Amino acid sequence: MMPTREEWAVVLFTLRVAALGTAVILPLGVTAAALLTRSRGAARSLLETALSLPLVLPPTAVGLLLLDAFARRSALGSWLAALGIQVAFDWKGVVIATAVMSFPLLVRSALVAFEEVDPRLVGLARTLGCGPGEAFFRVTLPLAWRGVLAGTVLAFARALGEFGATVMLAGNIPGRTQTLALAIFHDTQTGRDDRARVLAGITALLAFAALWTAEALGRRRQRRRAA
Amino acid sequence: MISLDVELPLARFPLRVAARLSAGVTAVMGPSGAGKTSLLDAIAGLRQVARGRIAIEEDALVDTAAGLSLAPARRRVGYVPQEAGLFPHLSARDNVLFGARGRAAEAAHAIEALEIGHLLDRYPSSLSGGEKQRVALARALAIRPRLLLLDEPLAALDVGLRERIVPYLLRIRDEWSTPMLYVTHNVGEALALAGEVLLLEEGKVEAQGPPLSLLSTPGLSREARGGIENLLAGRVAAHDAQGGVTRVRLAGGLALSVPLSVDLALEAPITVAIRAEDVLVSTEPVRGLSARNVYEGVVRGIERGAADAALRCLVHPELPEWVARLTPAAVAELGVVPGSAVWLAVKSHSVQVVSTGTGRPGAARV
Amino acid sequence: MRLPWTPLVALAALLGGGPPARGDEVTVFAAASLANVLGEIGKAFEAASGHHIAFNFGGSNDLARQIEAGAPADLFFSADQAQMDRLEKAGLVRPGQRADVLSNQLVVIVPASSTERLSGPADLAKLKRLALADPEAVPAGIYARRYLETVGLWPALHDRVVPTLDVRAALAAVESENVPAGIVYRTDAALSKRVRVAFEVPRASGPRIVYVLAPVGGAPTPAARALLAELRSARAARVYERHGFVVLAAH
Repeated sequence: MMPTREEWAVVLFTLRVAALGTAVILPLGVTAAALLTRSRGAARSLLETALSLPLVLPPTAVGLLLLDAFARRSALGSWLAALGIQVAFDWKGVVIATAVMSFPLLVRSALVAFEEVDPRLVGLARTLGCGPGEAFFRVTLPLAWRGVLAGTVLAFARALGEFGATVMLAGNIPGRTQTLALAIFHDTQTGRDDRARVLAGITALLAFAALWTAEALGRRRQRRRAA
Repeated sequence: MISLDVELPLARFPLRVAARLSAGVTAVMGPSGAGKTSLLDAIAGLRQVARGRIAIEEDALVDTAAGLSLAPARRRVGYVPQEAGLFPHLSARDNVLFGARGRAAEAAHAIEALEIGHLLDRYPSSLSGGEKQRVALARALAIRPRLLLLDEPLAALDVGLRERIVPYLLRIRDEWSTPMLYVTHNVGEALALAGEVLLLEEGKVEAQGPPLSLLSTPGLSREARGGIENLLAGRVAAHDAQGGVTRVRLAGGLALSVPLSVDLALEAPITVAIRAEDVLVSTEPVRGLSARNVYEGVVRGIERGAADAALRCLVHPELPEWVARLTPAAVAELGVVPGSAVWLAVKSHSVQVVSTGTGRPGAARV
Repeated sequence: MRLPWTPLVALAALLGGGPPARGDEVTVFAAASLANVLGEIGKAFEAASGHHIAFNFGGSNDLARQIEAGAPADLFFSADQAQMDRLEKAGLVRPGQRADVLSNQLVVIVPASSTERLSGPADLAKLKRLALADPEAVPAGIYARRYLETVGLWPALHDRVVPTLDVRAALAAVESENVPAGIVYRTDAALSKRVRVAFEVPRASGPRIVYVLAPVGGAPTPAARALLAELRSARAARVYERHGFVVLAAH
């Protein structure tokens, strides 16, 4: 059973919001990972745990927290409303929910990639005149880019499948906030199980492609040691 | 003048080094784990000292009493690690220019001196060991460092390659007036390059002094000497092509035959090394023996260890004591005691040329 | 292997323990809008009979789907005929055992703090968003859509609808002020101080709302039959009316 125009629209919408969400968390995630490499002890444990929370909390709990944060009554919500920006029950809510849920995956992958870079190379860069920030940009980041990219693709794959937080913050509005995952749920609710299965199949294909790419990037990643 | 007064906890013992080093090349030697690399790291700013002061001339890099510890970037200390440490994602040119920041002339001088101009577009993965070391040297020189730290820069190279790099190191020593701290296990390198040796053992300065006399000092641990217990200085006297030997004139007029090396210039100064295990001892004058080098001497002392015994013998007042290693059984059989007259024999092949006056080191190494 | 006995025993007690079973258990799947009223009736029934009721409230479409898929329900109390028809067609409900018990009324609500003036259907047209239980599937939403179709507003409003999982979620969306208005049952609006009724959907233009009750499976247990009887009793009728439901005449 071939997907209809409506179904393709859902696929495209899902790809777009996942891509946008991933693009938003990329600089944030790299920064967070960079900060983590420079922190130690209690501060680091605290930061790492906080950043990893969306991985282990139920997505609906995360969604609820986001809904409270962005509700029109909240400080953030009313400020956004004054600017005419709607987050709850809107496509922007989808981007935010998927971004928050996939953020920890990106941070963790980037962190591993940064820490695989030979610390002596970073030390040498420092003796050659680089401050810590410059050494990060000129040595660590260029040597870790494959790992960061693998993490990005992983985050994208997670964003494609996000449900719990999305449905809480953005609702399941066909044509407006309905991603593939939400559409599958909605179709089963309205008795269109066949259509749900088609969408599930498409989702599986997309996820497979994304994961395979991430794995391939991971395999080609050599340990970045000194030459 | 480099002043060091540092204290730094290591795995098994603390590093406690207090020394004043002259400008020029100082070889830092000692057994593995003595703290040599940690000392270099502390000077470069890659490790923090617990307490102390490090200064180049009058400029302090570290002064814990004053709460001063310059960031590595501000110390202008060049570092050449054991395996070049080139940035794999940058070309040789970008490696060299990494810290140069507009000091293009400086970089150009280093590139020319190290003869790596033709390599600049290549990437580290396609360079040989020797080429990588030269690029690493140029990279360190390009920042116009006040001090150069080299951590066993030739250790990862094979013997032939090492010999080809040393001239470059000599060029750097002679053309740049930068003081150098040169960590090595290789006695030959130390003799060829260094004006002074700093000997570290278990985190402490065991000895400091000119290379030849320091390395010949009796009582200096075997490990510290790199396993070579007899170092003799002399001059090339003659080549005997038919006999297959080159004759060396040692202090005191004694003659020593070494394997023929026609490229050694006559009258050139030369340092040779003889392993204590290679010295044969006889209680009677030696006749009809294949060894070319036989000397009469007097036993001055016997040190008995668990597995062997070392005989210290005076052959000539102008030469350091010779050390011969024998099994305890042999010592017992010979019945030697301090004061006994002995004849020492060494095959010419057992004599290694460690360094020549032109600064070319031999391969003598533990 | 040394086990952490104390926490394990505590966990087992927590999971395994429960009220001692004196009577039987009756499982009731009911429309979300009935949550409060059935909760009250149910508590009284449990105290009087010693039986225990397990309620599952939700959108009637979702509940019907679960029953079709084999969920163990004794009684089904649907917010519309369509869902009951669905189960009858699947052979899970006997025609003679259905009863139309209640009716309700739709109201348009706005957040209590809202200054929005909505006095009639014409005003609805200016709304940017409107919360309804999913108009494609959930009875409350379907009723609301029929009303909007009747007053000719559906074409304009249908893509401004924020569909929710059930009618209580639509209520919550308006309570949180994330959506400016919604259409829910009068009985739901009455429960919340955080919304106010802008206007009631007149019975003339509104759809006919009917809540249908039936046992599932055709052979209800004695406890289920007892509850069934209680839910259709005069005593229950007074509770329904107090909550704002319309009690249909028994046939």
